[in-house]
Amino acid sequence: MSISRRKFLGWVGAAGLSTTIGKSAAAATNKHFTGYPKSFAILHDTTLCVGCRSCEAACNKVNELPQPDKPFTDLSVLETKRRTTTKAFTVVNKYDNSKGPQSPVFYKKQCNHCLEPACASACFVRAFTKTKTGAVTYDSTVCVGCRYCMIACPFEIPTYEYDQALTPRIRKCTMCYPRVIEGLLPGCVEACPMEALSFGKREDMIKIARERFRKYPDRYVDHIYGEHEMGGTNWLYVSGTPFKELGMREDLGITPAPQLTAGALSSVPMIVGLWPVLLAGIYAVSKRKEKIAQTEQEQALTSALDKKRPAESETEEES
Amino acid sequence: MAKGKSLRIGAGISVAIIILLIGFMGALDVTALSKTPVDTQSIEFRSDIVTFDNMEAFGKLEKTKAVFLHDQHTDALEKKNKDCLACHKTENGRMSPKFMRLKDVGREELTKIYCDNCTKCHTDTISAGEKAGPVKCDECHKERPLIQSSRVPMGFDKSLHFRHYRAQKNKCDRCHHEYDKKNRKLFYAKGKEGTCRYCHKEKPEGDDTEKVISMRFASHLACIDCHQKTQAKQMDAGPLRCAGCHDAQEQLKIEKVKNVPRLKRGQPDNTIIKTGDKKGRIARMNQVPFSHKSHEEYNDTCRVCHLASLESCATCHPLVGSSKVLNNSRDITLETAFHKRGHQSSCTGCHESKQQDKNCTGCHAFMSKTRQQESTACLRCHMVPLPERTGELSTSRAAKMARLMPQLWKETFGPIYKVVVPKTVVINDLVDQYEAVEYPHRKVYDTMVKKLDRSKLAQYFHYEDTMLCLGCHHNTPAAGKPPRCGNCHDKPFNENNLFRPGIMGSFHQQCIGCHQKMGIEKYTGCTSCHKERKKQS
Repeated sequence: MSISRRKFLGWVGAAGLSTTIGKSAAAATNKHFTGYPKSFAILHDTTLCVGCRSCEAACNKVNELPQPDKPFTDLSVLETKRRTTTKAFTVVNKYDNSKGPQSPVFYKKQCNHCLEPACASACFVRAFTKTKTGAVTYDSTVCVGCRYCMIACPFEIPTYEYDQALTPRIRKCTMCYPRVIEGLLPGCVEACPMEALSFGKREDMIKIARERFRKYPDRYVDHIYGEHEMGGTNWLYVSGTPFKELGMREDLGITPAPQLTAGALSSVPMIVGLWPVLLAGIYAVSKRKEKIAQTEQEQALTSALDKKRPAESETEEES
Repeated sequence: MAKGKSLRIGAGISVAIIILLIGFMGALDVTALSKTPVDTQSIEFRSDIVTFDNMEAFGKLEKTKAVFLHDQHTDALEKKNKDCLACHKTENGRMSPKFMRLKDVGREELTKIYCDNCTKCHTDTISAGEKAGPVKCDECHKERPLIQSSRVPMGFDKSLHFRHYRAQKNKCDRCHHEYDKKNRKLFYAKGKEGTCRYCHKEKPEGDDTEKVISMRFASHLACIDCHQKTQAKQMDAGPLRCAGCHDAQEQLKIEKVKNVPRLKRGQPDNTIIKTGDKKGRIARMNQVPFSHKSHEEYNDTCRVCHLASLESCATCHPLVGSSKVLNNSRDITLETAFHKRGHQSSCTGCHESKQQDKNCTGCHAFMSKTRQQESTACLRCHMVPLPERTGELSTSRAAKMARLMPQLWKETFGPIYKVVVPKTVVINDLVDQYEAVEYPHRKVYDTMVKKLDRSKLAQYFHYEDTMLCLGCHHNTPAAGKPPRCGNCHDKPFNENNLFRPGIMGSFHQQCIGCHQKMGIEKYTGCTSCHKERKKQS
């Protein structure tokens, strides 16, 4: 095998070009994506929530989940911090209020329906879909059960049916996608007696939040959680106490999860394209070196022999 | 040849990597060592910490500020029968709070005063075989993270003022003085007394010839001197130790006089707050009758309202704002000074803070905290017609007018009708899930009236019976029969009325919100209001 220097450089150049094509493909993750226009959002105002668990009950009913051990009217369960499970897509937790120890704060936890979901970007079979309503839906028929989505989610929301031997699924809040496309309110929103959950266009929800900040500046922390967190979510929160005190992560930044991996993934074409060329090149170079060394050795050998038999070499040259 | 070259390159790269690695690890080690973990349990909090920061006046510091424990030194010297004069000099029979000097000196001299005197005393003590402080530079000039200051500022409240006034037998001139610029002398002017802080600011002001000393310096100079002299006479005197005034626990031990007689400095009982300035310009607003006497009761010092001087507000605050930014009180117009929200010195700010009271917050927490109010609300205070309309009447008998005005208004524009409050109101919106709620409407109204009776301020501003209705029946005219809630509040999340809650939300927000704010009944779930639906037979 022999590769000319020119050919090798040509290959490297071609591979290099392919990396730039790869980059432009990565840009398709869209830095400036601000969600589907007119997508819906839910605004959770923790200053209004009284921790009645009506939303949990409604969620259970709407999603036809099994009845829990303790009824939803039992408020003692609020004493322990809970997380979402395969049997409860939303949970309300109680937190101490640093501003007023007499009145605890309640925070409803469920899937935040990111504008650019980490779960969807981690899923290699595209089981998750960011729908135009804002909901992130899940298709169990294509899911292979790798649970990458559980690792990818910064809010630790997706849960896995470990108890199902044959057809385990990922379970999480659907933002009541089937209801919303029918024109109904999400179950939890409809049930909330305090209107601590508001439902509408995401822009409108942000407007409502800002209007509340303006009207009651003393009541709120001037921040809408979810407006920009992880690139923005379709579930928004306003609170009177710092979000950190409600166990909400404030270290997430505003970069959407897919964008975090876009850089690394964009180098895949480069590695795929460049490495074979590079390795082949290195192989060729080492081969060439060996060849040169061999010829040098042979030459040295012949010249040494020639010194002994000058006449012989002359005749060889002539032939 | 070629082989040798590549070997050399390989060796170079590996050496570089090793150097980098070592450097990185070294950096890690250094950061690990430089931060010695401080055990928060072992931190000692003291109120007597004096940080020697005098050198800051001369620019960048060469050494770390020394941390000095004043009471520790006072105690140590007392044991050796030494008094304050071991460290402080006196002038005209008054001890200077400065260390071993009377006046401010230059950088080198100041360094010498501290270093020489401190080390001398410490060395002497050590050579006498006793325990003493450091003698080397870096032993004083070092961080002492285990000693933290718990010093709290000391204030002169009405009670403390009265106790001094009583002890000094009405001799106000013992503390209060004015400055005569011509003769460069302090003198006492009767009826001109004000808070020390009006002249003595946080930092000294003026040049060397006419220096107004800082509040810190002035108070330590005057208070400690007097306390010392009083103690020397074997009389009951104030504290001499730092902790006596600046320790939170010690402050609580200071005796409080309950019914402090009114301070007399020529202030009126009732007055009319004018809406004009000294130049004769007038804002076209009615004037405000004001009871100075009753407002005195609610505040501990004059400074709460009279921030910078006891002159009338218009002395500093201009009637008309200017386009220039001055960054002083002249930037703040009279209008802002009286109406600024969230500021205890303004009328509106202070009155609004009272709305945080448990008895008031049930309604007021839900009212928008924006400045814009109905224009009729202005007339609640601005009720004295301008002199140009009333002529002599208002100017000649302002005090009497001020006193009479609210009464006159009440009689003229007082409650027109008596509200008829229904005994119960049946709310049956959720009858598919629960029994209908019988809302005890009159009981709620009567409770509110009862709570109103407790506050003079609240009574004054809720001048009509129907005013109380507005807590729930908002955005409607105060009337006997307001519109129903459902007239405005319909289905939730109506895009035409984005900020208006739906009917279920509005009921629950109003009822539960008010109960929570007023601490009435603890919410224990839906059935605390809604009775379980009876099974239909």
